[in-house]
Amino acid sequence: MKVYDVAIVGGGVVGCAIAWYLAHCSLDILLLEKREDVCCGVSKANTGILHSRSYWTPGTLKGEMHLRSLSWFERAFRELGLSPLRCGALTLAFSREEARYLEVSTKSEETSAEAAILSPKEVLAIEPRVNPEIYAGYFDPETMVVSPFALTIALAEGAALNGVEIHCGKEVIALESSGRFLRICCSDGTAYHARFLVNCAGASAVRLAQNLGDSLPSLSFFRGQYFVLDRECQGFVRCVLYPVPTEKSKGILVAPTPEGNLLLGPNFEPTQGEDTATTREGLLEVERGVQRLVPDVPLDRVITTFSGVRPALPERDFLIAFSPSLPCVLHLAGIESPGLTACFGIAEYVGELLARRGLPLRERNDFRFRVPSRAFRECSLEERERLIREDPDWGKIVCRCEEVTLAEVKRALRANPPARTLDGLKRRIRVFAGRCQGSFCGMHLPRILESEGGIPVHGLQKSGPGSFYVLRRDEVATYAEVR
Amino acid sequence: MPRSVDAEVVVIGGGPAGMAAALSAWEWGARRVFLLERNPHLGGILNQCIHPGFGLRLFGEELTGPEYAERYIEALEKTRVEVLTDTTVLEVGGDRHVVAVNREGVWIFRARTVVFAVGCRERTRGMIRLPGTRPAGIFTAGCAQYLVNIEGYLPGKRAVILGSGDIGLIMARRLTLEGVRVEAVVEILPTLSGLLRNYVQCLLDFRIPLLLSHTVLEVLGKERVEGVVVGRVDEKGNPVGEKRLLPCDTLLLSVGLVPESELLKKSQIPLCPSSGGPFVDEDFACDVPGFFACGNVVGVFDLVDYVTESALRIGRRIGENEGHTPPRFILSPREGVATLFPQRIRRGKDGFLYVRPKEGLRKARLSLIHNGKEFHSLTFPLCRPGEMVRLDLAQVSWPEEEGEVQVVLRGEKHVDLL
Ligand SMILES: Cc1cc2nc3c(=O)[nH]c(=O)nc-3n(C[C@H](O)[C@H](O)[C@H](O)COP(=O)(O)OP(=O)(O)OC[C@H]3O[C@@H](n4cnc5c(N)ncnc54)[C@H](O)[C@@H]3O)c2cc1C
Ligand SMILES: Cc1cc2nc3c(=O)[nH]c(=O)nc-3n(C[C@H](O)[C@H](O)[C@H](O)COP(=O)(O)OP(=O)(O)OC[C@H]3O[C@@H](n4cnc5c(N)ncnc54)[C@H](O)[C@@H]3O)c2cc1C
Repeated sequence: MKVYDVAIVGGGVVGCAIAWYLAHCSLDILLLEKREDVCCGVSKANTGILHSRSYWTPGTLKGEMHLRSLSWFERAFRELGLSPLRCGALTLAFSREEARYLEVSTKSEETSAEAAILSPKEVLAIEPRVNPEIYAGYFDPETMVVSPFALTIALAEGAALNGVEIHCGKEVIALESSGRFLRICCSDGTAYHARFLVNCAGASAVRLAQNLGDSLPSLSFFRGQYFVLDRECQGFVRCVLYPVPTEKSKGILVAPTPEGNLLLGPNFEPTQGEDTATTREGLLEVERGVQRLVPDVPLDRVITTFSGVRPALPERDFLIAFSPSLPCVLHLAGIESPGLTACFGIAEYVGELLARRGLPLRERNDFRFRVPSRAFRECSLEERERLIREDPDWGKIVCRCEEVTLAEVKRALRANPPARTLDGLKRRIRVFAGRCQGSFCGMHLPRILESEGGIPVHGLQKSGPGSFYVLRRDEVATYAEVR
Repeated sequence: MPRSVDAEVVVIGGGPAGMAAALSAWEWGARRVFLLERNPHLGGILNQCIHPGFGLRLFGEELTGPEYAERYIEALEKTRVEVLTDTTVLEVGGDRHVVAVNREGVWIFRARTVVFAVGCRERTRGMIRLPGTRPAGIFTAGCAQYLVNIEGYLPGKRAVILGSGDIGLIMARRLTLEGVRVEAVVEILPTLSGLLRNYVQCLLDFRIPLLLSHTVLEVLGKERVEGVVVGRVDEKGNPVGEKRLLPCDTLLLSVGLVPESELLKKSQIPLCPSSGGPFVDEDFACDVPGFFACGNVVGVFDLVDYVTESALRIGRRIGENEGHTPPRFILSPREGVATLFPQRIRRGKDGFLYVRPKEGLRKARLSLIHNGKEFHSLTFPLCRPGEMVRLDLAQVSWPEEEGEVQVVLRGEKHVDLL
C-alpha cells in the first residue's frame, strides 16, 4: 500500500501550484481532480491578469499571498517555460473623485517605482483609443497577462515531470483517519492513502470540508461574463485598461492576451452555485462598461462569450487553515481574485504550514524544468521547414484559424497529464479557440483523435461524461421508426 | 531552407471556384499553373453536399455536389495544372509570394498572378452572441453536414436549427432522413433566408415547422445541450412576448456565411464592407494588380453555377495580359441592396452583376443610376434576400462619363410570402 506524503484535492491553478512547489522537494505527492483534466474549474474562466503590487489589498491574507507571489514570478516563468505578456496597465479615472483613488493608491509604499499618475494627454499618448473624456490615469508597467490555461497546465506538467502523480476523474468524497495516515475515498470506489491532505477544491472547497467533517462559512458565488475578440484586434489596445475599482470587484476591464485576443469583462453578479451561463443582460452590462473605457471597441469582432464564477467567503478574503478536527488536513477556501496571481505565494505559504506540522521539505537537486512544446504558429519559416523535415506531421494543418498542426495534436494527447477531451485539447493547443470556434477542426479532429489518441469517435467528449460529441448511426432511431 | 518555386499563376483553394479559375488560366495559355488545396481532395464544399441541385443552369441537369466537382476534376486531369492537395496556404505577400506548407515542407511560390478561391466560413455562436451555457451539441450546420455525410456520424437525436439559410434547410431534411427529430427551424427575420425550393423540398415535404420572427434566446444544459429557449422578436430582433422551451440535444447554426478574407487582409487587398470580400471588377480582378478572387471569398453566391461562371472569366483576363487599367465605374449598393459584386466595372461589355436584395419585394425594379439618372433597369415580379438577382452586363449601355453608379432595388414590400 502506497502512502503519499501529501494528497492535493483539486487541479485548479492553486492545487497545481502547490503540487509544483512541493515537487521541488523529495516527497511523494498525489493530485486528485474530479474532472477529466486539470484546469476545469474557476481557473479556466478568468481574466488571467497577474496583478502588480500596485493592486494589492493591504491588511488581508489575499494581499499577503499576492505580495509573496510577486517574488516568485520570474523564477516560475523560467522553470515552467512560460512567457507572460508584459503589457502594463492603465487605471482610468473619469472624475475628480475617481482620480482621488489613484492618488491614494500611488502613495502606498508598495507601488512600482515607475508607476505614475498621468494627465489625459499622457494617457492618450499611450493608448489613443481610450475615451477622451478621461480625467486622469495611472500607469503601472508591472502588470502582466498570462493564459490561465497555459499557467495551470504548465504547473501540472511541471509537477508531473518531477514525479507528482496526477489522477483525473477522481472526486474525493470522504476521509478516514487511522492516526498515522489518512484514507481518502473517491466517488468511483477507489481509495488513496496520504499523510497530509490539502483541500483546494475551489468552488467545492466548503462542501468538501463539510464532507470531511469540518464546517466552514459558506461560499457565495459571483459570476463574471466576458467577450473574447478576434486576434485580428491585436494592438487595438496594448495594455490592460482598468476602471477605478469598486468595493466588490476590479470592474469591467479590457485585457490583451498573450495569444493576441482581447478580453472584455467581467461584470459582477450574484449567482446560484457554479452557474457559468452567459446572459443577454450580463453581456450588455459588459458592453456598456467597456465602451465607457474605449468607445470604439470592435464589438463586431466577438468570437465567443463565456463566464466564470468567483467563490467568495463572507469576509471576501482567502481562508487557509488547518481542519479543527484533523490536524493533517489543510483547507483553502474563498480563493477568488487574485487567486491566479497569488498561486505561487499560496503554494509557498502552504508549504510552510505543512512543514510546521512535520512535513519534511528537503529541496532536491534533480528538479527538472519544463520545456514548453513549440507552437507552429509562432515559428519562423526556417524553423517550420526543420520541424516538418523531422516529422512531416508538422506540415499538416488541422486548425486553420490558429494554425495548429497534427504534430501538436499528437503531443497534447501524449502529454502528462494528457488531453482526453476536446476542451483539454483547446486549452493546450488552441484548436476550437479561434475565430471559427471549431467549425473546421471540429470536422476533422474526431477521426484524428481516434487514430492517434485511441479515443473512438463515438466516445469523444467535449468536457467529460455526458458531453458526447456525436452519436453512431445505430444509436439513433431510423427514419422509418420515427415516422 | 523552404523551397522556392516560380509560378505564372497560383490558385489558392480547390473548390469549384479555384478549379474553374485554374482551368481557364490553362485554357487561355498560362503555364506553370499551381492549384493549392488544404484538404486531401479537390471539390471544396461540394464534397459534403451529397444532395442534388447543382449544375441546373450550367449543364441543364441536376447533379449532386461530388458529381459536379468530378466534371472539373476530370477536366483538370487533362491539363498540366499542378495540383497540390493537403497543402495549406498560410500567407500571401503584397509582392505575390505565397507561403504554403504540406508534409514535404514549406513552399514559397513567386507568382505573377495570385487567385484567391478560398471560399467562406460559417458564422458562429459567438458572432451572434447567443447566451446561455456552453455544452457539447452546438454545431454550425456545415460542420454537422460534414460529420453526417463524410464521417457517417449523427450530431444527436433531437435537433433545433437556428437560421433558415440553405445549409440549415438542407440539414433539416438530411437529419430527418437519418432518424433525428428536427423540432423546428427558427429564423430571426420575418422572411426565409435560403432558396424557396429548399423550403419546399426540405421543410414542407417533411412537415418541419419554420418559426419566422423567432430566435433562440438561451442555450440550456450543462454537459450536453438539454434544450433551447425560443421566443418571438420584433423588427429590431429584440425579444417580445412569450418564450418557450424546446427540449433538444443538438443545436445547429445556419446563421450566415462570411468570406474567408484573412489571407487577403494579410496581403492588404482592399475589402468591401458590405460583402466582406475584396473589391473586384467584372473579371474578378482585385484592386491590386496581379491579384484575383473568385467564388465565395468574393461574396456568398447561392448557386455553384454562378461561382463557376464567374471564376471562368479569370483566365481570359490573365491571358490577354492587357495590364491594370483603372475602373471606369464604381458600383455602390444603395436602397434595397444588401450587397453586390463586382463593385468595379472596367469594360462593361460582358460578365454579370450579382445583387443580393435587402428585403422581399414584389414588382421589383433594379436600377443603375449615374449622376441621378437611371441608365439601365431590370424588372421582375418578385425578389427575396435568399436569391441573388443576376444582371447581364452585356445588356447595359454605360454612360459616357465615368464615375460612381448607384444600384437601387425598389418595389412593393412584402413579407407574407416567406
Ligand atoms: C471572473 C473572474 C475573473 C478573475 N480574474 C482574475 C485575474 O485576472 N487575476 C487573478 O489573479 N485572479 C483572477 N480570478 C481568480 C482566479 O481565477 C481564482 O482565484 C483561481 O482560479 C482559483 O483557483 P482554484 O485552484 O482555487 O480553483 P479551481 O480552478 O476551481 O480548482 C478547483 C478544482 O477542484 C476540483 N474539485 C472540486 N471538488 C473536488 C473533489 N471533491 N475532488 C476532487 N477534485 C475536486 C474542481 O474540479 C476544480 O478543478 C478571477 C476569477 C473569476 C471568477
Ligand atoms: C451546405 C451547402 C449547400 C449548398 N447547396 C447548393 C445547392 O444545392 N446548389 C448549388 O448550386 N449550390 C449550393 N451551394 C453553394 C456552393 O457549394 C458554393 O457556392 C461553392 O462550393 C463555393 O465555391 P468556392 O470554390 O468559392 O468555395 P469552396 O467550395 O468552399 O472551396 C474553397 C476551397 O478552398 C480551400 N482553402 C481555403 N483556404 C485555404 C488555404 N489557406 N490553403 C489552401 N486551400 C484553402 C478549401 O479547403 C476549399 O476546398 C451549397 C453550399 C453549401 C455550403
